[in-house]
Amino acid sequence: MLKMTHLSKVYRTEVVETYALRDFNIDVKEGEFVAVTGPSGSGKTTFLTIAGLLETFTGGEYHLDGVEVSHLNDNARSKIRNEKIGFIFQAFNLIPDLNVFDNVEVPLRYRGMKSAERKKRIMESLERVGLASRAKHYPAELSGGQQQRVAIARALAGSPRLLLADEPTGNLDTQMARSVLELLEEIHREGATIVMVTHDPELAARAQRNVHVIDGQVVDLAEDPRFHAHVAQVAEATHGR
Amino acid sequence: MMQIKPILAALKRHKAGTILIALQIALTLAIVCNALFIIQQRVDRLSRPTGMIETDLMAIQNRWVGIDDEATAPLVKADIQILRSLPGVEDAVSTNSFPLRGGGWSMGVRLNPTAKKPITQTTLYFVDDHALPTMGAKLIAGRNFRADEVVTIDPKVFESSPVVIITKALADKVFPDGSALGKQIYITEGAPSSTVIGIVERLQVPWNGNFANKFEGNSTLLPIQLSGNFSAYLIRSKPGQLASVLKAAPAALFKANRMRVIPSERGVRTYADVREQAYKSDRGMAILMGIICVVLLAITAAGIVGLTSFWVGQRRKQIGVRRALGATKHDILSYFLTENLLIGIGGVVVGAMLAVGMNLWLMQQFEMARLSPVYVIAGVIVLLLLGQGAVLAPAMRAARVSPVEATRSV
Ligand SMILES: Nc1ncnc2c1ncn2[C@@H]1O[C@H](COP(=O)(O)OP(=O)(O)O)[C@@H](O)[C@H]1O
Ligand SMILES: [Mg+2]
Repeated sequence: MLKMTHLSKVYRTEVVETYALRDFNIDVKEGEFVAVTGPSGSGKTTFLTIAGLLETFTGGEYHLDGVEVSHLNDNARSKIRNEKIGFIFQAFNLIPDLNVFDNVEVPLRYRGMKSAERKKRIMESLERVGLASRAKHYPAELSGGQQQRVAIARALAGSPRLLLADEPTGNLDTQMARSVLELLEEIHREGATIVMVTHDPELAARAQRNVHVIDGQVVDLAEDPRFHAHVAQVAEATHGR
Repeated sequence: MMQIKPILAALKRHKAGTILIALQIALTLAIVCNALFIIQQRVDRLSRPTGMIETDLMAIQNRWVGIDDEATAPLVKADIQILRSLPGVEDAVSTNSFPLRGGGWSMGVRLNPTAKKPITQTTLYFVDDHALPTMGAKLIAGRNFRADEVVTIDPKVFESSPVVIITKALADKVFPDGSALGKQIYITEGAPSSTVIGIVERLQVPWNGNFANKFEGNSTLLPIQLSGNFSAYLIRSKPGQLASVLKAAPAALFKANRMRVIPSERGVRTYADVREQAYKSDRGMAILMGIICVVLLAITAAGIVGLTSFWVGQRRKQIGVRRALGATKHDILSYFLTENLLIGIGGVVVGAMLAVGMNLWLMQQFEMARLSPVYVIAGVIVLLLLGQGAVLAPAMRAARVSPVEATRSV
């Protein structure tokens, strides 16, 4: 489904070159639920934006659903984002000017779907996240957990095969985080491939597979000294509280 | 176009900016329509022909000083002889007034000498048989005056002339069937009739204000030299010799007789100057209106650019989100163009009504003509295009917002 080999991403500013990803290798199979963990600044978001075709990369190869994406033009990338990928962001990213119904409709309109079909899908996915009764509400009138569920409904409405989530529970309290995760697990059981970035080990543990990223590279947890250093750090921080 | 409903929904959440721009568009449309209409009217007016050949033509205005009104006739005759014999002069005529001079005689024209109301108004040009060649007016029927028909009359006792030459506009008004030549008309209530012996194609009246609009082409030429303190001379130079005649003519007149004043202003003018000065306020008005239009359109365009730029800046995140959710660059561009078009349509609908309302008010206050719908339609198109043009740059900036903007936290 999602395969990156020797992929690199360099951010250039006038003074420095930052390798956000270097020799990054990952292979996510169709139907997998993968959690990506790693310290802050390690390149998790960068990986996800490249995986979601929000950004281009500097070197290496990326095959999405069997297609090498680096030669696709902007319109083709937009079309793939629209049809194959669902995004869930840490900051929810609902459009504040639109009510819940219109928010969920956004990707469906860009797909050029007929009104009746759109309506059916919107109501289905809102029911799915338990917010059908809030269709006319504006994002500002909803709690964080509700907003994230609307965002999930928006990601689901287009029936994407790949769901990318960047710290989807990062802005939520534990209970809401758990319900959002349950929703993701349910979606996964129905066949979607999910890649979720998180730094919550408890959430990560519930995924089928964990991928750890340090300094822009996927590391083998058992062998890499950097991982043990990181775990020690986290443990210390937790103790300290 | 498929985005109209959500765009309207989003605009509802930005009422203040939306209404402000729509109102600005409406006001601009109303003012620009009326201003363009006024400009067109003024331009129409100042491009009317006088009926004379205006090149190689000049005018002198002369006032006698220290001479009885009754004694001026021979002096005028002498002046005219001097002018006609100047080298470089083709012909010259003495007249009470001439087209665009600004002042002159006006009388009512009747077919029945005792009718209470005249059929129409006419100006009277008191001239001689040299008027038509000097003016370059075109005789289209009948004949010119003969020298022996010309008489001198005291304006205080003037009633009518046995023969007159009238313009086609006047002839058609009084004799709609086209039979004016040889007919009798009355130019003074209860006075003897005048026979129409000639018809000229066109000769404008001395006035160019609104009040003369209805009879601006109704002129009557009479073979009469009025005695009096004032006389105007029209002089046609030989081709290309106007500049030298302009100097030589007044010099020759002063040399013959110093008992006169030729005002330094408007005393000696080429006819081009006469026209220029007559239409000065019309041209000024047209230019002023043009400036107002340009300024208003520029302000409105700037307002649209400003508001859209602000909105684009404010919505970077949601543009990124839309891109992440599958919007193409073109979708984003068309979002902002459509949004502007919707605001623009709201503005021009209100503006068209305002334009008509403003015109009705101007009609009441300043005798304006009724605004032609063409101006409203043209104004609507101009403003909608202006809006789309103004929104283009910010919209293109919006289309360049990267989808990665969606992932940047806050
Ligand atoms: N637009 C950017 N310009 C420059 N450097 C960036 C940019 N985005 C991310 N980086 C850098 O790339 C590295 C990885 O960042 P990121 O992928 O956001 O990490 P994570 O999500 O794991 O916290 C960091 O060093 C970050 O400073
Ligand atoms: Mg991150």
